Parts: sequence; structure tokens; C-alpha cells
Amino acid sequence: MWTEFKHTLRRLHGSALGWGIGLALYSLMIVSFYGSIGTMKLQILELMSGYPQTLLAFFGDMNTLFTPGGYLDIYYFGFLTPIIGIFAVSACAGLLVGDEERGILDLVLAHPVSRTALFWGRFLGFAAALAGVLFLSYLAWAIPSPSVGFELSWGELLLPFLSLFVVLFLFGALALLLSLLLPSSRAAGMLSAGLLVANFLLIGLSRLYSEEIGPIVRLTPLYYYQGGKAAQGLNWGWLGGLLASGLVLLLPAWALFLRRDIRVGGEHGWHLPALRFLRRG
Amino acid sequence: MEQETAILTRGLVKWYGRIQALRGVDLEVRRGELFGFLGPNGAGKTTTIRCLLDLIRPQAGEIRVLGLNPQADPVAVRARVGYLPGELNLEANLRVERALRYFDELRGRRTDWSFVRELANRLELDLQMPIRNLSKGNKQKVGLVQALMARPELLLLDEPTAGLDPLMQQEVYRLLRQARADGATIFFSSHILSEVEALADRVAIIRDGIIVEEAEPGRLVHMAMRRVRVRFKRPVDLTPLIRLDGVSLLYQNDGIEATLQVEGDMEALVKTLASFPVGDIETEHRSLEEAFLAYYKEGR
Repeated sequence: MWTEFKHTLRRLHGSALGWGIGLALYSLMIVSFYGSIGTMKLQILELMSGYPQTLLAFFGDMNTLFTPGGYLDIYYFGFLTPIIGIFAVSACAGLLVGDEERGILDLVLAHPVSRTALFWGRFLGFAAALAGVLFLSYLAWAIPSPSVGFELSWGELLLPFLSLFVVLFLFGALALLLSLLLPSSRAAGMLSAGLLVANFLLIGLSRLYSEEIGPIVRLTPLYYYQGGKAAQGLNWGWLGGLLASGLVLLLPAWALFLRRDIRVGGEHGWHLPALRFLRRG
Repeated sequence: MEQETAILTRGLVKWYGRIQALRGVDLEVRRGELFGFLGPNGAGKTTTIRCLLDLIRPQAGEIRVLGLNPQADPVAVRARVGYLPGELNLEANLRVERALRYFDELRGRRTDWSFVRELANRLELDLQMPIRNLSKGNKQKVGLVQALMARPELLLLDEPTAGLDPLMQQEVYRLLRQARADGATIFFSSHILSEVEALADRVAIIRDGIIVEEAEPGRLVHMAMRRVRVRFKRPVDLTPLIRLDGVSLLYQNDGIEATLQVEGDMEALVKTLASFPVGDIETEHRSLEEAFLAYYKEGR
């Protein structure tokens, strides 16, 4: 398992560094604006009063913008899930099936490594790479925060990153499961990313139509994602629930991988009935 | 008995959806043998080999590899087996040595690296080359090195010399003979007659998912027919040639050119041709695959 863990980290290090540095630079930019946002409070409130209330509501409670937690949420964590989610779902969708499609998995599994070790080693490697991406971003917030008057301790600042990590862990697990169910890793990545974006939009819409779609939103993972608000108090129950849901998705994925025929050259593939119909046409 | 058997399959059946790839494969390879596994494309060679490694699971049948059941104990089986896939794919962004070290790590870092360097030297493989820059032949060499480097008890090689030039093929034959001399059993698939003739102690032919023949390679070579193309200096009567046993006419062009099919040895044809005004002769061995297709088409 350790070999696969290290190997996955090695393979993901390029994209993880790219994402990590990109997010860190964005974090540095946003954190450096914090001081000036505070001094421009009146002008910003006046500007916001000109926007449609429904539009503002979609992005969260704008009145919290001038608190550290609200600032974190609105400028960073509130919209980060679908962006960094691309890294999570694409990495996980290709974690096993991507190699299978490229014909690499055949030779790897011909070596004395169990499917269990391969599965968990690779997923943990992904989780470590994701943690690395978020940690770089965390450092970019934490290091300059005292100098710009950002009144959150390093510990408090870590909590929203934990919340983000766990929700991405869950969507990564979903992408891995779908990759073992759908005909291709690309289909799994697209569907997982689609579900993530749909969930993000649903959360925004639920702020406008809470009565109509509120009960539905409660069934979705992002409802339990606290984002920047976690800095003021992490809901450990929600965090544990998201983590447990991710693990629940991983268990059938693991079972599917254990009994899977490793494909070469399209063996054991299947097609969606609708696509088959279109091809006939 | 089991201790003497490297590979044993009984009634191996494998379906891919509605397509039956194996229809009851019975195979026995003794330890220390160099065993050739032949058949046309899609006959079931690769499927059989992949079942032996538990990469795919048969719906029915029994498998023992080095006395172990690969479905019950796949890691123990793979620890003792070296494998070269028919369609070799490697991570393109790694250097050769990095890829080999990864495979070594999967084996628990037991490889003797001086042996790896010796293999690389003999196959003229640069260990520092990025895999993405390698030709098909050089990738095949990486595949061969990774299969051989742990000195496994059993080598499962799917088309081991595919993409290699004739000189390198000879080097691979030497490596395989050396591995066998060191105690390894070698099970390889091929469709090259000369390769089978040069290497194998015994050969099994698979067709449509079933073993249709198990024989010594000499017998197969005899069965494999040659095509002989003769150009004459002037038009001739071909009747004396066509009357020879085992010779049939495939094509002729006004008695100035003829293509003959010869079964068995060439002695009678060569002696008869001595009295003809021969300008040029070309002979060509049909592949075993072709020979067997013809053999079974003829109602065997």
C-alpha cells in the first residue's frame, strides 16, 4: 500500500503543486485586500445596496462580509468547491480506471500487490495530495493574516480548510465509485463534476427559495459544508457525517474493484442504451 | 504431480458479455519447460494468460500456477511470476530506471540491480531515457527487463519479441534459454514459426477458445507449408512440378513465373527444378497461424 501511496503522490505532485500555488497566490491576494475592505465598509455597503437582493442572497449573507469568517466565506470558501472540485474528481475518476484505459494497470497488477493495497494506497495518495494543495493555500492565509489585521488564529483558520477537505474527499470518493460503474473515467469525471456544480447551484438557489428546495438541499453534501463559517465554530457532527459518507461511497468502490476484470482494449466495457441507439441511427 | 507442474488449467471458460473467449481450456506446462502458446488473433491466448494472473476471472474451470490457486492467493502467485503483456503500456512521463524501480518496489525491493544493468546492456537499453521517447522496440525491451529482473520461477510472455529487430530477437532467445537453464519455466505466446522452432520444447495451439493441438515444434514445422515463387528464363511446362507429392500450383503466368505451395520438405522440388531454366527463386514460410488455419479448414 505504501508503494502505491508514494507512487500516486509522485504522479499527482505536478497538478497538486499547480493547484496549490494557484490557490495560494489567490489567497495572498484576497488576504491582502482584507484591510482595505474594512476601511471601505460604507462605500461597499452602498454599492451592494444597488444590486438585486436575490443576486446577493445567492452568494450568501453579505452582511457578514466585514467579519473574518464572512470574508473568508464570501471571497474564498463560498465558491471554491466547484473550482478545486475539478482537481478532486478528475484525479479520483482516473485513479484506477484511467490507468486501466491506458493499459497500464494490467502490468501493475501482475506484480505482487493486492487489489486492496492498490485501491487504498492510491486513494490515500490522492487524499494526501489534496491535503497538500489545501495546506499551501492555508499557509498563504495564515502567514500574512496577523500583519493585515485578520483576526483569526492559525487554529481557527484551519477549520474551514478541514471542512473543504472533507467535502472534496466525499466528491472524490463519488468520482472513484462512478469510474468503476460507468463505461469510462471521463464519463465518471464529468458526472461527478456535474453533480458537484449542481449541488453548488442548488445551495445558492436554496437561499432564494428556501421553502421550495430547502428540504431537498438538506439531502446534499454541500449543505453540510460550512466553508468560512467553520472558522467561528466547526460542526464536528457535520464534518464526521461528510467523512463517513465518503467512506460509505468508498466501500462499494473497493468491493467493485476487488471483483473487476481488468480491461485491455475495451474488454468488458458497456455503453449507455441511448448512445447505442444513436449509433444505430 | 502438482510439484512438477508449473501451469495447470482444466475446463477454463471465460465469457465477455455474450462473447465466449475460452471454451474449456485444458493446459499443462511442466516445470522447467519452454512452452509455446500459439493461435490466431482473438483465439484466447491473452485471455488465458490473464486468467493465470487473476487479472480477469473465468466463469468456470480450475487454475493452478506453481501449485497455487491465483484466485485464492493472487499475490503469492504474482510474487513468483514475471509477466510481459502483449500490449505493453508504461507510464510515459517516467524514465526507464524510475519505471523499473517502481516495479521493483512492488516486489518488495528484492531485485539485484547489477542484473538489471546486465539485462539493459545486453538489450542495448538506455535506463535514463524517458519512456515517452522510446520506440516500440525499446519499450518492449523495458517490458522484457521488468519481467526478467526479479528472476521469477515462471515467465508468462505474450509475444516476447514483438517489435524487436532480428539481432535483438536472438539476444532475447539467449536470455530466455539462460533463464530456463537457471530453473525458470517459460510460457510464451507467439505466431512466428522460427521463434517457436528455436525456443519451444512443446507447443499448444489454441483456436476459438479451445486447445486444438499440443505437439513438439518439429511436427508443427513439418505441417507448416512454404510458398515458393519461381521465375524462369523462358516459358516452361510446369507439369513435372505439379505432379510432385505435396506440391500444388497457386499461380502461374504463361509458364514464365509460378507460385507453388509445398508441404513437407523441399528436396523433391529442388531436384526437379535443377532441370529447369530457373532465373530466380523466393521461398516464404507461412506463419504457424496461417498453417493451422489452413490445416483446420481442410477438415481436420
